[in-house]
Amino acid sequence: MSGGVAAVLGGLRTSGPLLALLALTVGFALADSGFATLANLRIILDSAAVPLVLAVGMTFVIRQGSIDLSIEGLMAACSLVFALAVANDRTQFDLGWLGLPVAAAVGAVFGLANGLIVTRLRVPSFMATLGLGSIGLGVAMLLSGDQPPLVRDTPLRQWALGQTFGVPNLALAAAACLAGGFFVEQFTRLGRYSYVVGGAESVARVSGINVDFYKVVVFAFAGLMAGLAAAMESARLGLGHVEIGAGQMLGTITAVVIGGTSLSGGSGSVLGSAVGVLALTVLANGMVFVGAPPHLEKAIQGAIVLVAAVLAGWHVRDRLRIVK
Amino acid sequence: MGTVGPAKQPDGNDRFAIGGGRSGAGSGIATGLAPVAVLVALVLAISAFSPSFLSAYSLRVLAAESSVILLLAIGQTIVVILGGIDLSMAALASLTSVIVALLLPELGAGAVLGALCIAALIGALQGLVHARAKIPSFIVTLAGLGLWSGIALAIANTTVPVAGRYEVIGWLDAHTWGVPNAFVLGLAMLGLFQVALARLRFGRHVYAIGMAERVALLSGIRVWHVKTLAFAASGLCSGLAGVVMVARTSSGNPTIADSLLLPSIAAVLIGGTAITGGHGSLARTLIGVCIVAVMRVGVAVAGIAPAYEPIAYGALVVIAVAITVDRQSIGIVK
Amino acid sequence: MTAVALRAEGLSKRFGDTDALRDVTLEVRPCEVVGLVGENGAGKSTLLKLLAGVIEPDVGQIILRGAPVRWRKVRDAADAGIGMMFQEPSLIPGISVAENILLAHEGPGIRLGIVRWRKLFALARAWLVKLGMTISPAAATQSLSFSERQLVAFARALAVEARTREAPILLLDEPTSALDDRGVAAVLQTVEALRTRASVVFVSHRLEEVLRVCDRIYVMKDGRCLAEREAGTLTVEALEQLMVGHEISTDIARDAARPHVAASVCLEVRELSRRDKYADVSLALRHGEVMGIAGAAGSGCEELCRTLFGIDAPQSGTMLLEGRTVALRDPADAVAHGIGYVPAERASEGIIGAMSVAANMTLAHLARFCGRWAIDRRREQDVAERWIERLRIATPSATTRASDLSGGNQQKVALAKWLVGRRPRVLILDHPLRGLDVLARRDILETIRELARDGVGIVIVADSLDELLAVSDTVVVMRDGRVSARYSIAEDRPTRQAILESMV
Repeated sequence: MSGGVAAVLGGLRTSGPLLALLALTVGFALADSGFATLANLRIILDSAAVPLVLAVGMTFVIRQGSIDLSIEGLMAACSLVFALAVANDRTQFDLGWLGLPVAAAVGAVFGLANGLIVTRLRVPSFMATLGLGSIGLGVAMLLSGDQPPLVRDTPLRQWALGQTFGVPNLALAAAACLAGGFFVEQFTRLGRYSYVVGGAESVARVSGINVDFYKVVVFAFAGLMAGLAAAMESARLGLGHVEIGAGQMLGTITAVVIGGTSLSGGSGSVLGSAVGVLALTVLANGMVFVGAPPHLEKAIQGAIVLVAAVLAGWHVRDRLRIVK
Repeated sequence: MGTVGPAKQPDGNDRFAIGGGRSGAGSGIATGLAPVAVLVALVLAISAFSPSFLSAYSLRVLAAESSVILLLAIGQTIVVILGGIDLSMAALASLTSVIVALLLPELGAGAVLGALCIAALIGALQGLVHARAKIPSFIVTLAGLGLWSGIALAIANTTVPVAGRYEVIGWLDAHTWGVPNAFVLGLAMLGLFQVALARLRFGRHVYAIGMAERVALLSGIRVWHVKTLAFAASGLCSGLAGVVMVARTSSGNPTIADSLLLPSIAAVLIGGTAITGGHGSLARTLIGVCIVAVMRVGVAVAGIAPAYEPIAYGALVVIAVAITVDRQSIGIVK
Repeated sequence: MTAVALRAEGLSKRFGDTDALRDVTLEVRPCEVVGLVGENGAGKSTLLKLLAGVIEPDVGQIILRGAPVRWRKVRDAADAGIGMMFQEPSLIPGISVAENILLAHEGPGIRLGIVRWRKLFALARAWLVKLGMTISPAAATQSLSFSERQLVAFARALAVEARTREAPILLLDEPTSALDDRGVAAVLQTVEALRTRASVVFVSHRLEEVLRVCDRIYVMKDGRCLAEREAGTLTVEALEQLMVGHEISTDIARDAARPHVAASVCLEVRELSRRDKYADVSLALRHGEVMGIAGAAGSGCEELCRTLFGIDAPQSGTMLLEGRTVALRDPADAVAHGIGYVPAERASEGIIGAMSVAANMTLAHLARFCGRWAIDRRREQDVAERWIERLRIATPSATTRASDLSGGNQQKVALAKWLVGRRPRVLILDHPLRGLDVLARRDILETIRELARDGVGIVIVADSLDELLAVSDTVVVMRDGRVSARYSIAEDRPTRQAILESMV
């Protein structure tokens, strides 16, 4: 068993996130009989797919101590690119399945830009990603024009809306991303060094690790995930839309934080983030059954991030620690 | 040390609350005047396109358009000088607009006062959590963004028209001697806070914390007091922005200000206030707001697609920060 | 085979105003253990950092196995076979022990970017075994105790051996300072075993250990190499004698009679403890008394100062100010109670470089310079000018930016911060003379004496015993977190050697 895996599983076993997920599931099952059905489980898995893909990327970013506030804008741009690249009602392109890697590549390019701005121009990541996200949104608006392009590629749409052995295809795709992210995190130098860079960047530099390179790659990876997520969502909805990523930024960060990745970096795992995503999805789903107002979701996410941040930082509240 | 700085003035504000001229931070006269140069260039370019741009009417429209962003930018400036950032201002403004629109018919001026108090208190709460629990300000205000936006949506998930007593705030939408009142309000707040930053103990503390928080702590400054107060000020500004929006649209809306967050942050940064804190001034922010306003109106006037606006903001923000970031104090960039 | 493995020739290094190293020449031969001793601030850590490639020298050369080298980063030195164990723990928390040991040179542990865990663990285990450690290479670094982490850091330094065919050179900076007896024994055993195939530079303030394990010893003081001896010829006392150096220069004179020390106590602590830092510290500072606290690295005196100023809370014990118990929640409380603090790192903690001299001076007691609602700039200016004169601060004006001043003048500004407005009750000075030239030192010492005459209780933590003795009425010595000795200068007249003995 790899060193990292042991630590991760150990962490999860004793961890809050898993307990929270279980508690929520049991709670809602008891509250409404309609919740604990196979049909609803499918709905939950389907709803969790896109956030999970986003969370995989965001976990790497947060673990290295940075943050990515650009995913909404990135998703917008990639969604438009995807919609215009596959069979649609506006352009002649018909890339079919290639649309997915194309969207992912566009996301990766944006992510690369994020990374370069942070490492070369020394702009803090929250500012750099905020700016780049806005650029992404503008690009999406340009591409969209007056009407969002409709996706007419039937196989793609059927895949996005369909199931395999009873499991929604998008959920399977997300699971594949999760597995890929886990592999990178536990078994590659890139993954291990994201812990190092987040944990003690100065030590990493002094030891001769090319920190800037790994930072840029992580941002590009997060962008790639965002692009993939956008393509998945666009295939499901059948169009490329500027608002396709609305609300995902806060939700993704919340999921990653719930999953045990500390905002100060150096710890956490994509598995934990997956639990976080599931917990939030179950929460949103259950809230519908219970009849809670839908917009409370955003407020709850905000509250969770706050509480999680407070709890995580509580024991290191050294009086002289400077936090900006 | 050989830093380029403004000429030594015997009693100049700059010396005590250093606003410009600092080594490594794109210092000196160049950066100080760059925003002004950009503004002039923009105005000239757009008037070349459309000569009526500089007419009194169009300037009036410009001023009215920018009053909300001005108010938001004022609060943001204080927080940024402190070294933080407030991502929740737009959401808080929207929440305020909903509260005011709902309560105005019943409580009249009381609704406005009450909403402003709530906004200031919310801001203070964010500042308190940031300062005491030692959570980065962008996390606290990001969470706040979700919270206040969610609460606003939960209270009213669509536009709330003002059903009565509009005249309590209606004057904000009017003009006095050709100048929009809302803009005058903005300028008044700007003046007020500028005095506070330059002359009050609070202002000195804000700059000290922004420049060197550790030294400020070790000098006995109650940093958490200052932070709470600063964020309360930004909350108040958010509230005022919300009230102005209700006046201008005769309604409240839970997402009305969402698109204004980035432009207001852009205005602060483009004006030359460094994201690293400790330097900057509200005068700079005024220039920044003018630039942003000119861009917004100019884009429409010049017939450029509105999609270029977010692209421009994003690019300008990144460029402005890249130029003004203080590389010495920033250490490790995360 | 060259007779010298590593040679430092004429190395000098300056940090801002301070000369950390002055023309240091030192040799390390193959298969030998060289000890490096000296007081705090003598330059030992700086020298090691130069040899390990953490920083670059201003002047001088490093000659490795006969050829001059220039390191740009630590990796260059590590690839050449120089491994360093730092004084501060420098392990990455979120990863396994094996990854820490092999950080940045995993070798066959990572192939084509893919981590091969079994290989990695095996490689790491080899190093752990050499240190007699039984912890698993797969263990999470976070779960280790402090001494286990020190040993892992040692293993990481050792692992340099795999990077080069030549005999490695290990630089160990206080390797035993935080270890229990077993840990110390393990380290010393390993160092002795290393002698057969490596060279070691062993820096420590524990002189018996140094004498036990080293072949030759260099003594450093004030950035210079004072002496070099064969370890066999020395005893601990002789070594201390060497460390203390010559008689103090007459510049730093003292007046023996100190009648102004009052009988009343202004600051008292009883059984103050803070886990892992210091324990059972009891002191009583009287009005007008200057108390010097002496201690080597890890003795707890700096941490004690931080507690006295409210930076860190003690876990147990009480603190009394003018006879009344106080619990300081933060430095602001301390300041409100009339305690001042001049930190050791003046550039990053003592003054705000971007602010003017006057603004720096009024920073702690700004309320006293406010009129009805605004800051009274005129008064601020006047007071600043007065203190500039009084403390002989060399500055063009009170509005000059503090970062434009020299180190000594910056320190005077940092000191003035506590003197404007109201005289403090207690003033805590953390290494106040570090890095200052002779004139600045004289001025500040004079100011300290003046303040003491005015009834201010002063606590000084200093590197140099000379300085402590020049101005203190009482000297308290700390070792390993406890008070090991107390001397009243006037009555006991302790020798420098006696004090040093209680420190190490």
